[in-house]
Amino acid sequence: MSREIQTDRVLECERLSCPMPVVKTKKAMEEMKPGEVLEVRATDKGSVADLQSWAKRTGHQYIGLIEENRVFRHFLRKASNNETKAEVKFPHTMSNEELNQKMDSSESIIVLDVREPAEYVFGHIPGAISVPLGQLEEKISQLDPGKEYAVICRTGNRSDMACQILAEHGFSKVKNVVPGMSQWQGATESDE
Amino acid sequence: MANKKVAIIASSPGLETAYKALNIATAAAALDAEVAIFFTFEGLSIIHKDAEQMLKLRPGNEGLAEGFKKVNVPTVPQLLDMAKESGVRMIACQMTVDVMGLEKDHFIDGVELGGAAAFLDFAFDAQVTLNF
Repeated sequence: MSREIQTDRVLECERLSCPMPVVKTKKAMEEMKPGEVLEVRATDKGSVADLQSWAKRTGHQYIGLIEENRVFRHFLRKASNNETKAEVKFPHTMSNEELNQKMDSSESIIVLDVREPAEYVFGHIPGAISVPLGQLEEKISQLDPGKEYAVICRTGNRSDMACQILAEHGFSKVKNVVPGMSQWQGATESDE
Repeated sequence: MANKKVAIIASSPGLETAYKALNIATAAAALDAEVAIFFTFEGLSIIHKDAEQMLKLRPGNEGLAEGFKKVNVPTVPQLLDMAKESGVRMIACQMTVDVMGLEKDHFIDGVELGGAAAFLDFAFDAQVTLNF
């Protein structure tokens, strides 16, 4: 049974040996837009170490790996140029620690995770709702403007944009969690 | 990301040398490095138009042929195409080309002829240098 994880593109590298998976991944990533997620399917055992090194070196995000019927399913997200430092414009923020404390004190706060579905699958805050940034506007009617939201992504960039969108739609109790999941020390769960 | 440079010399005979040099070269290019390979002496057969006939496994290594097939290793022409496409510079050593009585036409497209200085000019500030 193959698990469905929403991605923007799947690259078939089954039965290809080194250096093909890395070379093809590089090529595929060049054709993708920042923020998009690529799944690379490879049978080469070396691809595990290779693609993780590749991502580290090129600055793209290695989201996670599923091994299934001898196929390695690698999930990678194309980084944008200004990825590493968050450009925070939304004035209302809270730190990771504040969010963790609020959740411990069972205050009613909804955690909205605006990363890509594949990123969410490999690790998220328990109970967080997944609405990728690109789908926020179309799904906004499913959210309650009267509730309090903590919006989180990986580094605080995408959640900043999400907060601005929410505020434009009349959500008044919204806070951007910075820096976000890249530094999250609290509990997580995965769908894996 | 600071640009890395990888300088490779391919000077030995055989299919093994072709794979060692081209695998590292294409992988380095995928890692956004600038790559140059200097082909000299028997290494020139890798970029020769008749590479397929010239590149054989070394005596004793014939048993690897089956493994190459099983693992679906790309062919040397495929690797050369990928290398060219990703901007790997391929320099044929002018001196050995002359010694062997070869001409530029004997080599695949995209190969430049140059002397040791042309290669060294690239290699001086390379972080990685390899000799196969």
